[in-house]
Order: sequence, then structure tokens, then C-alpha cells
Amino acid sequence: MKIFKCNSCDYASVSSKYTCPQCRTGKLEAQEVSPKGTVFSFTDIHIAPAEFADIAPYTIALIQLDEANVKVTARMDNPVQIGDKADLDKIENGAYLYTRI
Amino acid sequence: MTSVYVHGIGMTQFGTFVDRSMKELLLEACIQALEDAGNPKVDAVYVGNFMGGAIYNQEILGAIVANELGLGFIPTAKVEGACASGGIALRQGIMGILSGEYETVLVAGVEKMKHASTSDVTQAINAAMDNDSNEKQAGLTFPGFFGVLANRYFYETGASKKHLAMVALKNREHALNNPLAQFQKPATLDEIMNARIITNPLGLFDCSPMTDGAAALVISKKKSGVHIRSSAQNSGPTQMQDADDLLSIPAIRESGRLAYEKAGVGPEDIDVVEIHDCFSMTEVLAIEELGFFNKREGWKAVEEGRTKSTGDKPVNTSGGLLSRGHPIGATGIAQIYQLVRQLRGTAPNQVDGAKLALAQNLGGTGSYSTVHILERV
Ligand SMILES: CC(C)(COP(=O)(O)OP(=O)(O)OC[C@H]1O[C@@H](n2cnc3c(N)ncnc32)[C@H](O)[C@@H]1OP(=O)(O)O)[C@@H](O)C(=O)NCCC(=O)NCCS
Ligand SMILES: [Zn+2]
Repeated sequence: MKIFKCNSCDYASVSSKYTCPQCRTGKLEAQEVSPKGTVFSFTDIHIAPAEFADIAPYTIALIQLDEANVKVTARMDNPVQIGDKADLDKIENGAYLYTRI
Repeated sequence: MTSVYVHGIGMTQFGTFVDRSMKELLLEACIQALEDAGNPKVDAVYVGNFMGGAIYNQEILGAIVANELGLGFIPTAKVEGACASGGIALRQGIMGILSGEYETVLVAGVEKMKHASTSDVTQAINAAMDNDSNEKQAGLTFPGFFGVLANRYFYETGASKKHLAMVALKNREHALNNPLAQFQKPATLDEIMNARIITNPLGLFDCSPMTDGAAALVISKKKSGVHIRSSAQNSGPTQMQDADDLLSIPAIRESGRLAYEKAGVGPEDIDVVEIHDCFSMTEVLAIEELGFFNKREGWKAVEEGRTKSTGDKPVNTSGGLLSRGHPIGATGIAQIYQLVRQLRGTAPNQVDGAKLALAQNLGGTGSYSTVHILERV
């Protein structure tokens, strides 16, 4: 999957930014990395906004990628614990859908 | 240091008022504050409000106040900064006075939330997330953000769900003495620990409720018994995945640091505090970020009862957002209402001899924070 890395410092993010928020001079450039990672933290959302009410409860996890200093907020297909390994299933409607491996 | 003083305060009952209009609540608080200040001439009005347009189809709140109260054709504005709308409105009023343009300003905050369903209001609150972010598309919510923080906090410290429950219990106990608070029913630690889960580990009592209500202040460069020593505001990351340290909220830390610096005081000097406990977890992080306790040790202070009204660092003697209630745009103003009463010596859960007070108001998942330090003079 794509992440965005600054061309003049070590900043990286899963989302692109207009300019690097760390050094404020560099530009972010896309880079391919493995989406595999580790669950850094999580929650199971029981009360959801109207647009997600039909799938509640669902699990949101913050995934630390293995290959980059980048975290990704993802929806899991099943409940998880901190430290669980996870991999990307697909990107749908702008959301990263992960699965525990 | 600012040269601005608080002259009048007003606040409606917080709770469920489906039959009362937003205007009615807003005007009630403003009239109280104006009367408390001796009905001075007002040069401008700022109203904090977050979603009057989105879920109540009501804007132009500033002009409504000026017209209904016969304040004249003075400049007015609505200020939006998510849950920090009230704190930012106050700061805009202070800046207007410091600029020399105004002498006396009416600052108010209001929200109506109980007429709509929880899922519709949750959706509207999500306007305070970045629409283009994958987080919102994944289904993250505001309570969910603090649930993710809480699970990590437990993992990295000795804290557990019990410590969050102790925060909720403390604030509920404070609210029992505050007739304006939304929740007046006693609760037990057991009841709080076993309440239904909203977003684990956060249960019902760990979340601020939906609330209708308003609060108002009259501030002026003329002297009074309550001096606003400093006003500070900062922004922070708008996305959870971009946080350097998930257990830190830089906007709170930085606004606290600046407010102390401008006021020439430190966290050890503060006698009484109102902080933005939108969730029990947020209170634990905020007491750390504001320097009252060491990082990752706030939970110990909670366990030792140090943040109770009888402790050495009383936090949320009003009941906080958790039990006083959280009508979003009014919250930042309601915090000042409680602190002014503390400094006047007439507050519920009065802290003996309170002289220096601090209010911290948070917007979004750490997107905005304001800190105001008040002093009895
Ligand atoms: C916690 C929450 C999900 C509860 O909503 P809900 O499941 O629809 O529950 P209801 O509103 O139907 O409440 C049922 C009863 O539970 C109690 N209750 C509701 N919220 C409560 C809370 N936060 N704490 C304790 N009791 C609560 C009340 O007695 C309520 O009855 P009432 O409406 O007659 O007063 C909702 O209040 C919420 O989303 N809060 C967070 C709001 C938020 O994010 N604000 C912005 C912060 S940044
Ligand atoms: Zn850079």
C-alpha cells in the first residue's frame, strides 16, 4: 500500500499533506510499503454515527506498520488485542479494512 | 497578563429541554450575566456554538442576542471551534478588549442536542473530524478516539477501568451539590464499572452526555474582583494516526504552558481547576498535560483522591462535562461560571480560600485547546 514520505526529513504518514508538517519545507512523496503491521491500540464501537449504525458494533484499530514509522487507523473484521498482527484486506470507500493474521 | 475582568455570570439549568428553543436558553443565560454585571453598556457579543446550523437550523446567534436584549446595532459573531467553541468565544472577547476596540463584551455559549437522536447527533459531532481522512471513513467516533487512547493507556501504565470509573464517580459526586448539573442521581463505583459499553473500555458513565443548555459572561477592562490573568489557545493534530505520542494531547500541553507563562504562575499555584472531561480518559490525560501530575501517572492521583474537591488539586468541582453536562458550545463558558463562583466563595463544592483558578476547554480529538487562568483580586 502507499504511504507518503518527506523528501527532506524523516516524516511519513498514511495520508498525503500539502507540505511536510515536520520540516515545513519538504514535499511528501508516495512510496509502496507492506501493509502488514501490529495493533497499537483499539476500541469496539457500540454507538455509531448514523452512516455506520447498521454495522455496529465494529472494531477500530490503530495499526503500527512493520516497514515504516507510520500508523493507520483501520476497521477490523473481528475484535483484536494490542500486539495482534494484522494485514490489509482491502481499501473500500476510503477506509482501510484490516484482518487479524 | 491581560487587563480584562469578569463582571457577570449566567447559566441555565443543564439537561433535557426539548420544549425550550435555543434562543430562549441563550437569552436566559445572557440576561442573568448582564444583571449580575449591573446591566452595563455592551460593545460586542461573541456566541460559542458548534452545531446550531447542522441539527437545529439556527444561525445568526450573535445578532439575535443583540437585538432581543436591546444592546444596539453592535458587532456580534458566532464562534465555532467544536467543543472548544465557548473557550474560543471567550478568547475572542478578551482579544477584542485588549485591542482597544471594546470596553465591555458579552460572551455566551449554547447548544441544543436532546431534540435529535443519538446517531444523528453523533454524525453531526463527526463534523469535527477531517472528512477526507480514512479515519472517519473507517467509522471512528469521538468516544471511539478516547477508547483507543484508554486501551493504550492501560497497556502502558498500571491504570485500569476502575481508575476511569473513579473519575466518573468523583465528578458525579461533585454534581450532586450543583443544582444546575444535568445528573443529580448518586451513582456507585459498581454501577459505573458495569454500565453498558459505549466504546470499550468506555461505558456510559465514562462519556459526557448529550445536553441542552447555555451559559454567559460579561467581561470588561473595568476592574472587578475576578481578573483574567491569561488566555491561551493552541491547535493540535486532527488525526489519531498522525499523533507522535498517542497518550499526549499537544494542544492541551501547549495551551497550558503558554497560559502559565503569560500569567507568571505554575501548575503548583492553581487552587481549583475545570478541565474538559468529555470522557473520563480525557480528564486523566489533561491533568498530566497541564502539569498537575507526571505523565502517565494521572491515574495514581485519581486513586489517591487528590483531584476531589477535598483533595490538594480539586478538578471539576461543578461535576465536569461528565455530570454537569456538555452542551457543546456552552461548555467553555460554563467552566468559567463555576470558577468565578469559586473565586467569589459561593460555589457548589467550594474550595476554601480559592484564589487562582484554571479552565481548559478542548475541541475535536485534540484539534483545539484553550486555557484561561483567573485570579481573585
Ligand atoms: C454516551 C452516549 C452514547 C449515550 O447515548 P444513548 O446510548 O443514546 O443513551 P440515551 O441518551 O438514550 O440515555 C439513556 C439514559 O442514560 C443516562 N445517560 C445518558 N448519557 C449518560 C452519560 N453520559 N452518563 C451517565 N448517564 C447517561 C440518562 O439517564 C439517559 O436518560 P435521559 O435521556 O432521560 O437523561 C451519548 O450520550 C454520547 O454519544 N455521548 C458522547 C457525546 C460526545 O461525543 N460529545 C462530544 C465530546 S468531544
Ligand atoms: Zn519534512
